[in-house]
Amino acid sequence: MNWKTGFVITAFVACLVPLVSPNYMMTVIIEALIFGLFAMSLDLLVGYTRLYSFGHVAAYGLGAYTSALLLLHFNLPLPIAIILAVAISMAIATPIAWVCTRTHGVSFAMLTLAFAQLGYAILYGFKDFTGGSNGLAGIPRPEGPFGLDFFQSKIGYFYMVLFCLLGSYLLCRALVNSPFGAVLAGIRENEPKTAALGYNTRAYKRIVAIAAYGFGALAGALYAPFAGFASPELFFWLISGTVLIMVIVGGSGTLIGPIIGGVFFLMLENQLSEVTSLWPLIFGSIFIAFVMFAPQGIWGLLTARFTKPPVQPGSDRDGEAARAHS
Amino acid sequence: MDFVGFLLTQSLNAFSQAAILFFIACGLTLIFGIMRIINFAHGSLFMLGAYVGFSTAAATGSFWLALIVAPIVVGAVGMAFEKLFLSRLYIRGDGGAYLMVTFGLAVIMGETIRLIWGPHPHGISTPDMLRGVVILLDQPFPKYRLFLIVFGLLAALGTWQFLERTRAGLLIRAVSQNAEMVQALGTDVQMVRTCVFGFGCAMAALGGVLAAPMVTAFLGMSASVIIDAFVIVIIGGMGSFLGSIIGSLLVAFAQVFGAYYFPNMALAIMYLLMLVILVVRPGGLLGKEE
Repeated sequence: MNWKTGFVITAFVACLVPLVSPNYMMTVIIEALIFGLFAMSLDLLVGYTRLYSFGHVAAYGLGAYTSALLLLHFNLPLPIAIILAVAISMAIATPIAWVCTRTHGVSFAMLTLAFAQLGYAILYGFKDFTGGSNGLAGIPRPEGPFGLDFFQSKIGYFYMVLFCLLGSYLLCRALVNSPFGAVLAGIRENEPKTAALGYNTRAYKRIVAIAAYGFGALAGALYAPFAGFASPELFFWLISGTVLIMVIVGGSGTLIGPIIGGVFFLMLENQLSEVTSLWPLIFGSIFIAFVMFAPQGIWGLLTARFTKPPVQPGSDRDGEAARAHS
Repeated sequence: MDFVGFLLTQSLNAFSQAAILFFIACGLTLIFGIMRIINFAHGSLFMLGAYVGFSTAAATGSFWLALIVAPIVVGAVGMAFEKLFLSRLYIRGDGGAYLMVTFGLAVIMGETIRLIWGPHPHGISTPDMLRGVVILLDQPFPKYRLFLIVFGLLAALGTWQFLERTRAGLLIRAVSQNAEMVQALGTDVQMVRTCVFGFGCAMAALGGVLAAPMVTAFLGMSASVIIDAFVIVIIGGMGSFLGSIIGSLLVAFAQVFGAYYFPNMALAIMYLLMLVILVVRPGGLLGKEE
């Protein structure tokens, strides 16, 4: 089965979900899809460029707050507001990416964390604008353009989120399979060597960081109008860690893995936290087990079991696979 | 209120704050220097220290005993964690793996503490001899904070002398410079790593016990403190002991005076300070870029 067939079947099955799922589950499912999209955006950095961002929540929060403010202050149609929010977030991300990509490894993790915390602090600093710790409530979902209003219902919103997730997946897939993606893999495996081959690695890192912010902001921009409010919780640094966990457990460097990780962890959390208060304990243990014993993640385990690992021309995946097995 | 008195008490406040921060940051930076690990669980170990300290003080009635028991218990927990998990990751040579395993530990420890001690905060009472205030330039100042300054100063001096003057300190510095060479010369580097990790955790626990009489032992204390500690270590330079002292002072002063002059932007000032330093010197003030 090639990936296109798999993609079409998955998309088709996903479209049928609202038909079989009870209405109260749809809220959780929509949030899970949004989180899947968020986790996938981080995978561009973690899985493909080995830039561990510990402040990716900034992308999410930025997207959420920009879309919330746009919807509250201007009477924009929802899709336009979301697109604008992503564009504005990417514009804000540009100088941030410029600074962060001066470094790599631990310094990069810490710098991204610093920017996310700065955003968190600014939320509290400009209370009049951002609502401070109260956040922003009553975010509307205005209809339009062209009289579109299907996203005002919950089922309709599900299809919009699904469309964004699948579209983003295709875009990211195209990006990482392009010559651009091959250079990213080069940076991941050995940055000095890639630089020595004549590539301006910093420019590549900058672009992939802005792209990751853009997709992360899309997830945030989808979340705020759905929830109807935006609170500083959306900027809280622990979410950066949680989403990193989802990427790793799902399988970094696969795009699909993080989506699975994000979707399933959110659903599992929702189901389990009703049954047991021990959920974070289980969550933490599963995570440590994956880092220790299965760094390739769920998707990596699945694909290794059933198919040959895909070896892409120009990337150094075989080298990585060999190391994972040693 | 006259300005000199105000400046004095605020500065002393900042120094006592710096003392608490130093206990966390110094362990964090030593661990980083020797293992290239950012220990995300450091804040949780600080918190565990505060809770163990509370239980000890509650059982024996002695704050001083808590200051001894908590570091030992938490240090042992740290060493066990290093032996069980971290030591198996060294061969992988992937900095991200440590970040994530220690993050997992932070999550687990936060939950374990909640299960054992419950969701409510626990206060440790200040020992009798440190209660009350002293009058400095007509300004009252809590005795306990003065004690913190003295204790922090002694700990910093002691650690510094330990690193500079003793054979164990020499080994630690050697491992942080070139672990392979030290291993080749016949030292058990793994042992050094376990001990330093345990020592760093014990220092964090000490900080936790010291902070508890002021802020009580509560479940959120790890999150607030770990970010401060990161900022300090990044400002000072990761792996630099002197850097952690300078960083603690800078952050404490930024927090105390920032909270007074720009109450809205107090948090942002700390992060701005860090960003400026990182942009100018990506490795921190006294560190080298990794």
